[in-house]
Amino acid sequence: MTTEPHAVSTPAVSTGAVSTGAGESAGAPQDRTPLLEIEDLRVGVRGDNLEYDIVRGVSLSVFDNEILAVVGESGCGKSLTALAVLALHQSPPLHITGGSIRYRGTELTTASPEQMRAVRGAEISMIFQDPMSALDPMFTVGSLLTSAVRAHRRASKAEATADALEALADAGIEDPRRRFDEYPFQLSGGVSQRVMIALALVNDPSVIIADEPTTALDVTVQAQILERLRLLKQERKMGIMLITHNLGVVAAVADRTAVMYLGEVVETGSAEDVLAQPHHPYTNGLLGAVPRLNSKVTDLKPVMGRVPQPQEITAGCAFRDRCDRAVDLCAVERPLLTADHRTLVRCHNPVD
Amino acid sequence: MIAIVRRVVLTLILLFASSLAVFAAIRLSGGDVTAARLPASATAADRQLFLQQVGLDQPILQQYWTYLGQMFRGNLGNSLTNNADIASLAVDKMRNSLILGAAALVLVFAIGIPLGLLAALKRNTWMDTGITSFSVAGMAIPNFWLALILIYIFAIQLQVLPAAGQGGWKYLVLPSVVLAAEGVALTVRMTRSAVLDTLGNDFVRTLRAAGLSNRRIYLKHVLRNSLLPIVSLAGLRVGQIVGYALVVEVIFGWPGVGQTLVNAVLRRDYPVVQFFSLVLVVVVTLGNLAASIGYTLVNPRLRK
Repeated sequence: MTTEPHAVSTPAVSTGAVSTGAGESAGAPQDRTPLLEIEDLRVGVRGDNLEYDIVRGVSLSVFDNEILAVVGESGCGKSLTALAVLALHQSPPLHITGGSIRYRGTELTTASPEQMRAVRGAEISMIFQDPMSALDPMFTVGSLLTSAVRAHRRASKAEATADALEALADAGIEDPRRRFDEYPFQLSGGVSQRVMIALALVNDPSVIIADEPTTALDVTVQAQILERLRLLKQERKMGIMLITHNLGVVAAVADRTAVMYLGEVVETGSAEDVLAQPHHPYTNGLLGAVPRLNSKVTDLKPVMGRVPQPQEITAGCAFRDRCDRAVDLCAVERPLLTADHRTLVRCHNPVD
Repeated sequence: MIAIVRRVVLTLILLFASSLAVFAAIRLSGGDVTAARLPASATAADRQLFLQQVGLDQPILQQYWTYLGQMFRGNLGNSLTNNADIASLAVDKMRNSLILGAAALVLVFAIGIPLGLLAALKRNTWMDTGITSFSVAGMAIPNFWLALILIYIFAIQLQVLPAAGQGGWKYLVLPSVVLAAEGVALTVRMTRSAVLDTLGNDFVRTLRAAGLSNRRIYLKHVLRNSLLPIVSLAGLRVGQIVGYALVVEVIFGWPGVGQTLVNAVLRRDYPVVQFFSLVLVVVVTLGNLAASIGYTLVNPRLRK
């Protein structure tokens, strides 16, 4: 794993080395262009008397044939970042207030509603958290999938049906023919999530954004779903952006990972590097809070304090109030993502 | 199957109870049965003779027993006022009311559902405000008053529609609009809130993420999900129309069940009141039955 040559800074004090979108791909091959490139994205609330950003300058890249895991606590802006890619955020009151989202070089933030519609499902598709409520209860699995096919191309009923059955099989469903005629209420959570995956696959996109796809499922099913995503990456060379709060998921399937805190990426790099030797105090804290089989429960160290509200964010580092390594500079200057270690870290006083 | 049997038995009990209630109510409400048929100069003996002829001198339970027996034999009896055979009278009146009621019911859903959907999709815009105010007005305005206003505007001032009577489709417009008004208003509000509820569901986002057009999402998926509460309360709409038909048919001189029933009540024409009241009970019961069947058909959970 190489560090980005242009990002230079001394420990503890970042000297203004600005890390741009390209810099976020630490741990990724440098000679490839990303499928999906999010650069300095800002998403915020704009309404009567309300003006604050929830996503505060996030840059991420997703390459083909890789799984990028975006990790963070609830409310850190990871889901909102994902939704904004497909312009699915609740607007109003949420708006993209800055930055850029590019898919194969095409800007999405300025795309027309019809252009966005054409991207959704066919180029970039999305899998949601709770499959039981994410499927329309009034329609069969088959009718849902064939509607999705026909949303993107003219297809006869037979063609659409064939595509749907194939997608169900690709999603790891045992008996596609039977599921095709079933309603969502007849499906278990695991099968529902596979149907969601089939829906995400049926128009053969190159990027899948999976927003906590395993959170609502029981553990054995979780593993199967993750394995399915890994296979899709491998067999179809897809780029998968996997949003999770579970570091175990990151360790299991991610190639690269980005840790988010309060609307910004605080550390990113290859999943291996970030998990093995985290440099940001927050990442370090998160790993300390994971229970291990060979340690006592009393050894667990929670990340102390509470996450501030987005409205409360002031100058300086957003994590400083919860950080045991905070230095004076942290209250004054917002740290930049810098590359002094194997990962990119946004910290004035990183863990070595 | 058990549910169906249960339903049929309950319906029969309901019909029996209604027949008893109507039978008793019309007799307890006082008034002089003989006044409608006999001249004011008729003597007490004449009146007694008339009561004897039509069997009204019998004890009330005996009368009820005879009435039930006749009905089971298919004999609906004759009008006390003009001695007309009720069965031959009924067909025409029922057909007329059916036309009016069906027109009103179609208006309720054909206007109420699209307007409610539109209000929900354009919520907090002038269009939503306009539609919502319109529906508040529709609920607040009494239908007899609305009838008079519409007659004044369209029949007297503009002279484009007839004020009363029966003939071509033009005669149907005002009465069916008045009859439907409150149902439209309620359906608009119900559709609006059902659609807003449905729009909050996760599956709407899933469909959007799959690239379906808004048009398809709203008209196919959101609407279908929002229909459940509307269909389940369709029975109430039928009941409402049946109830209001009494007023509306009288105002517009529409020769249907409602008008006949009101006249019969005023004249204390017992057999006519008994029969046509029962007709209304049957229609409301069937309306509710149709609504339950409709609900089962629309909801896949119940269909499977």
